[in-house]
Amino acid sequence: MTVLLELKGVSKSFGGVQAVENMSLKLEKGELTGLIGPNGAGKTTVFNLITAVYDVTKGDIEYKGININKLKTYQVVSLGIARTFQNLRLFSGSSVLENVMSAAQQSHKYSFCEAITHLGRWNKFEKKIQDESMQLLERVGLADRAHQRAATLPYGLQRRLEIARACSLRPELLLLDEPAAGMNSEEVEQLNILIQDIHKDYNLTILLIEHHMDMVMEICPHIICMNFGAKIAEGSPECIQSHPEVLKAYLGEE
Amino acid sequence: MQGYVAGIITLLAINCIAALGVSLFTGFTGIFTLGHAGYMAIGAYTAAILTFKYSVHFIPAIICGGLLAMIVAYLIGIPTLKLVGDYYTIASLGLGEAIRLIIENWESVTRGARGFPGIAPYTSLPVALVFLIIMAVAMFFIVNSSYGRAFKACRDDYVAASLLGFNTAHYRVLSLAVSGFYCGVSGALLAGFMSFVQPVMFDMAKSTELVSVVVFGGLGSISGSLIGATILTLVTELFRPISQYRMLIYGLVLVFVMVFRPEGIMGTNELTLNYIKNIFSAKKKASEFDRRTTDDCAS
Amino acid sequence: MDIIQQLINGLSVGSVYALIAVGYSLVYSVLLFSNFAHGGFLVIGGYICYFALRSWGMNIYMASFAALIGAGLSAVLVERVAYRPIRERTPITLYLLIVSMGISIVIENIFVVTIGGRFRALPPVIPMDPVNLFGFATTSAFDLLSLLTAVVFLIGLQLFLVKTKWGLAIRAASYNLKTAGLMGVNVNRLIGIVFFVAGLLAAVGGIFLSARYTLYPQLGSTITTKAFVAAVIGGLGSLPGAVIGSLILGLAEMLTAGFISSQFRDLVVFAILILTLIMRPTGLFGKSVGEKV
Repeated sequence: MTVLLELKGVSKSFGGVQAVENMSLKLEKGELTGLIGPNGAGKTTVFNLITAVYDVTKGDIEYKGININKLKTYQVVSLGIARTFQNLRLFSGSSVLENVMSAAQQSHKYSFCEAITHLGRWNKFEKKIQDESMQLLERVGLADRAHQRAATLPYGLQRRLEIARACSLRPELLLLDEPAAGMNSEEVEQLNILIQDIHKDYNLTILLIEHHMDMVMEICPHIICMNFGAKIAEGSPECIQSHPEVLKAYLGEE
Repeated sequence: MQGYVAGIITLLAINCIAALGVSLFTGFTGIFTLGHAGYMAIGAYTAAILTFKYSVHFIPAIICGGLLAMIVAYLIGIPTLKLVGDYYTIASLGLGEAIRLIIENWESVTRGARGFPGIAPYTSLPVALVFLIIMAVAMFFIVNSSYGRAFKACRDDYVAASLLGFNTAHYRVLSLAVSGFYCGVSGALLAGFMSFVQPVMFDMAKSTELVSVVVFGGLGSISGSLIGATILTLVTELFRPISQYRMLIYGLVLVFVMVFRPEGIMGTNELTLNYIKNIFSAKKKASEFDRRTTDDCAS
Repeated sequence: MDIIQQLINGLSVGSVYALIAVGYSLVYSVLLFSNFAHGGFLVIGGYICYFALRSWGMNIYMASFAALIGAGLSAVLVERVAYRPIRERTPITLYLLIVSMGISIVIENIFVVTIGGRFRALPPVIPMDPVNLFGFATTSAFDLLSLLTAVVFLIGLQLFLVKTKWGLAIRAASYNLKTAGLMGVNVNRLIGIVFFVAGLLAAVGGIFLSARYTLYPQLGSTITTKAFVAAVIGGLGSLPGAVIGSLILGLAEMLTAGFISSQFRDLVVFAILILTLIMRPTGLFGKSVGEKV
């Protein structure tokens, strides 16, 4: 089993606030791991550190053995890491299809001269980009809404679109930040199926932040729990469910 | 009369080219600028000096004007496009004014504030129209490509854009450079139309005009910018006899548009056959609906 | 001795810019947009003062009072008529910026159309006599008076913000307008007060600037640009920043004009702007608004 992502003693402070403290974790290729913890535990900060939205204060982040501390966000993404957001960040004025094409085009780049003249590889690549995007939309059940403005989609479908868009980057590591937020139990069930399907079909390694415990316990064989910026527990769902530190974090002390 | 109409259409074409450039930067890439008149000035003076002093043919002179404006825009863009929001806007204002001041003070080359007369009137109607058509088609192609999507991504959400692998800094600078080229060509054509250029022609009022045209037409719409440029050029020409009131009316138009229809004439839509069809079918649907409901009530 | 004179000149001009930059920064800190019509209030104040002195025969104190109130009220009117409808409909501040550009053009040209664009000198009611400062330097009474007046008004503003109920509300709103509203502040009334204060301060500046440079409709846009540059150098939304930025600007202008040449004056100003922003993209004291990802 190869280690895809490793955090070694990563810390992040904002002025006086210690958002992440000495965080270490290892993600093996192909794993579907859950990252849980109360609000403010530092989970999204970990995502932001991995994707270089924030700089690491201390420690190292290694992806496929390479230290990625100093890379810029777009460079990290082009290495094969994609993410979704706690608060949806779709291109709301663009259509559903355009949102996905914006990501799909990263794999089919042509030059500015070809763009301004519509010559060379423009036609072939545009077709590829559109075909791949439509395929992905069919996969997640959004193909019939391809030309609808993204902002007009119902909330659950917007979340789906964001996942589809992240997948069309053809990542190896997918970071999902509370994809089930605001969903009812039926929508969560459908999301479970979608996540497990893309995990299998696209050979993804997934790190999933979620508050819906039933979802995490059901689909993640490996769970990490954080509180106050540090890791407090790690293990299988059964182990986590009965772990005293986890219970204390969520339910408080006796 | 014919000469007058030809003149207006030529001026229109010149304004449209500049509007296309600003549309790319402000409308599609979402960066509000108040300094693009500076790039017009660079294009205008470059073409003026090349044709007048060095007897260069006007076509390469115009293209050089565009290229020099593009290079300056690129060099300026690299350090300044790190700024966000109003900071960039005011910096762009400062830069536009700085360009004008440099031109004004570099008298040995530009003849200073008095202006540069005697430029050959090379911008005939056909010349202007050919440049407009080629550049409009090119802009349409840019927007309907990966680069168009990249610019729009930077506009809509630059954080999400960078997390989709876009080097947002690079695309912003590219957008500025291309818009600089367009404004440079427009300025070069203007020099050949007026046969005279003066730094005060490219002041903050001109920059404001450029951006107002794009907002009026609709941010994020090529046809909108062209329509906006056309309407505002015609309106200012029509009101030339009462030029005192011209600017007042211009300001009032701006205020009324922003208060009552801030998305501009076209919003983010393009004037395609579909769009025109939709407008008419929406009207038809409304009248059909009325007819049907009265029928239902009758039965 | 010359340099001390230029320094005092610079401080005097800078302090007047400060009045204008502070008003602009105040509006920015609460509404997060650049009010391009700010210079318009300056001009309105200047013209009211001019006509009060010339046609209505008031003395300088009454004329100034009329100008301040008039400018403040016109600011409130502009907000009510042009900004509020947009503000209530959309959070996009770009639209406010553009409408403010339109208002600036409208105000300027109303004056051009009605009373003409020629330069008008204010009646010399503000003394311009040379004053000898402790034998160190000679400066004019005008410079000292404008510096003093600016300081008085800025201190007044500071007291207003720190010691009064509305001042506290404004400071709260500058952190988060919506939350201030949720805490029971009448947001529309607060914004009205902010604009009134901004207009009033602009008018004070306008009176001194028209006395120094003569009054004409375009004075507003020229000075607005400088006020913006000053506020940006100091950091948008920061009132102390606006003051410091203005002083830097005033000093730079006077020192350049005095020791290099007046042609380079404006270029130096813009160079300082660009250099400041390259080194500190949010100005000297600007709050860097980090986005939560």
